[in-house]
Amino acid sequence: MSTFHSKSAKSFLKDEKYSSWHDKTFWSVRQKRDAMAEKLDEWEQLREKASRIKLHTLSHLDKYLEEFSGNAEKNGVKVHWAADAAEFNEIVFGILSSHGVKKLVKSKSMLTEECEMNPYLEARGIEVVETDLGERIIQLKGQKPSHIVMPAIHLNHDDVGELFERKGISDQPGNHDPSYLTYMARLSLRGEFLSADAGMTGANFGIAATGDIVVCTNEGNADMSTSLPKLQISAIGLEKIIPDYASLAVFQRMLCRAGTGQPSTTYTSHFRKARCEDGEMHIILVDNGRSDWLADPAHREILKCIRCGSCMNTCPVYRRSGGYSYSYFIPGPIGINLGMLRSARQHSGNLSACTLCRSCETVCPVKIGLAEQIYSWRQSLSGLGTFNRSKKLMSDAMSLVFNHQGLYDAATGAESVMNIVPRDWMPFGLRFPRKPFHKLVKEDDK
Amino acid sequence: MTSKERILNKCAKAADGAFAMPELDDIAAVEYPDPLKQFCATSEAVGGKVVELADNQDINELVRSLFPEARRIASNLTEISIADTNPDLVENACELNGTDLGIIRGEFGVAENGCIWIPQTMKQRAVCFISENLVILLPRQNIVNNMHEAYKRISFNDYGYGTFISGPSKTADIAQVLVMGAQAARSVTVILI
Repeated sequence: MSTFHSKSAKSFLKDEKYSSWHDKTFWSVRQKRDAMAEKLDEWEQLREKASRIKLHTLSHLDKYLEEFSGNAEKNGVKVHWAADAAEFNEIVFGILSSHGVKKLVKSKSMLTEECEMNPYLEARGIEVVETDLGERIIQLKGQKPSHIVMPAIHLNHDDVGELFERKGISDQPGNHDPSYLTYMARLSLRGEFLSADAGMTGANFGIAATGDIVVCTNEGNADMSTSLPKLQISAIGLEKIIPDYASLAVFQRMLCRAGTGQPSTTYTSHFRKARCEDGEMHIILVDNGRSDWLADPAHREILKCIRCGSCMNTCPVYRRSGGYSYSYFIPGPIGINLGMLRSARQHSGNLSACTLCRSCETVCPVKIGLAEQIYSWRQSLSGLGTFNRSKKLMSDAMSLVFNHQGLYDAATGAESVMNIVPRDWMPFGLRFPRKPFHKLVKEDDK
Repeated sequence: MTSKERILNKCAKAADGAFAMPELDDIAAVEYPDPLKQFCATSEAVGGKVVELADNQDINELVRSLFPEARRIASNLTEISIADTNPDLVENACELNGTDLGIIRGEFGVAENGCIWIPQTMKQRAVCFISENLVILLPRQNIVNNMHEAYKRISFNDYGYGTFISGPSKTADIAQVLVMGAQAARSVTVILI
């Protein structure tokens, strides 16, 4: 009866102290988000506008993509188009190898995770250094992110302290104070920035009207990655294009308030051009399934997502099961949906990780019907052949009984044959009532 | 067919043009009775520091008094005489590593979130990030209420780069404990001029 998710969640919950900390931590982030939203009378109006801007952009995506790439090229940026992850990785490697790059520093990008770019480049002799602190920690640990905004949330300060000791980043064994560890990571990463040959960023937004790539960080690592090396590569999913600055104002106001409960990220950086005359800036527009999802009216709205992470923070299932309980690399309500779009067969187990409480829909800044989407995926499970066989057998039997009055009466009558069936043979030791419900109601009426 | 053509064709087929762009000018965005006061409060809340330059006070003396121990100071601003490094004259951006204090100019501040618009106005923009401490000179009359007003106002020059900065570099990536000074400036002081 168990899915990958429910089994993994069970082991997550074995550490009661940690799982309770995880739950409370994310609930406090949700509360910070609420405090931010409550400060703005226009919050709900912003959500509605944000949703409509995304719907509009998606329904005119070809035009906005052309406008964006045209303007970026006018700015002197080299624009590339990648149909899938393989082409994306080839393009990145092509740019890096033609410049003789040995070390690449990069800021956080879920898109490069999606395309599994790091192992591809590393296998070809390029050192890739993640510079977001959380990403760096899990890179050193050889792990994947467990949350899209707080990637190392599954580790505590002792885990990080021991890791830094092993890697020679910290020089005071036993000092696991987060301020000390952050400072030591700063020193270590500073060396990486200074010796890198190229810098890479993801993108929170691409502005069609101007060709800007907009990157939001708290650490300033995207700016550090791109203001020292002369070569910049920015990767952006097709759905991240928005029309103009008036639209950006709406999203900039919501992204961080919704995600971490801050009024803004520390840095909201606009990249339009190579940073110097002998430098280069490349933008890679990545499809990797997005144009197929756009063509699917039932699930198109998932492309509205701005990756704030608020649906994870609020989700009672995510909070109590952790990011690694999901089979797709993006967890929580949005990850369940993205996993189904990526491969329904591979990721349908995640569909069980939802109570349909719709808390995610209440907080989503772009109003994606996340739970409704999960519900609709569940309806199509039998077509995938990934449903649970014993559950299917039960529900088929129930449907047979409930749809045939005679069978139902026989099963529920005073002399019910069903109650002669040994208890062990019935799922959950199910027993049938002595009288069917409709007869009980009639008796009550008398 | 190139990937570009294939992607655009697929999107053209799928994008049905069904949704019109919503009106955005009717957003009832937050405004403050005293935007400067709000800007100062928000800046402090995001970990920044705000100092006012008094009438007749020398900016260099003020900066010196705030950072008495700063040894290497980088700035290309003409009114800053205490700088020993000019980011316009630095050939390799990495040479700016070890800067104790960077002094730059901000165009305007945003009351709702403490953001300050910093278009690149120096050859090596690294000075805005690599410096241990950052001072931003901001004309006190240049404060807007919110990001809608801000995005109507931003402009770019030939450098083709600009950023909104709101407080010092920060992270909570280790056990959700907030620490100032992740990869970029460990402190940000706004001097209202």
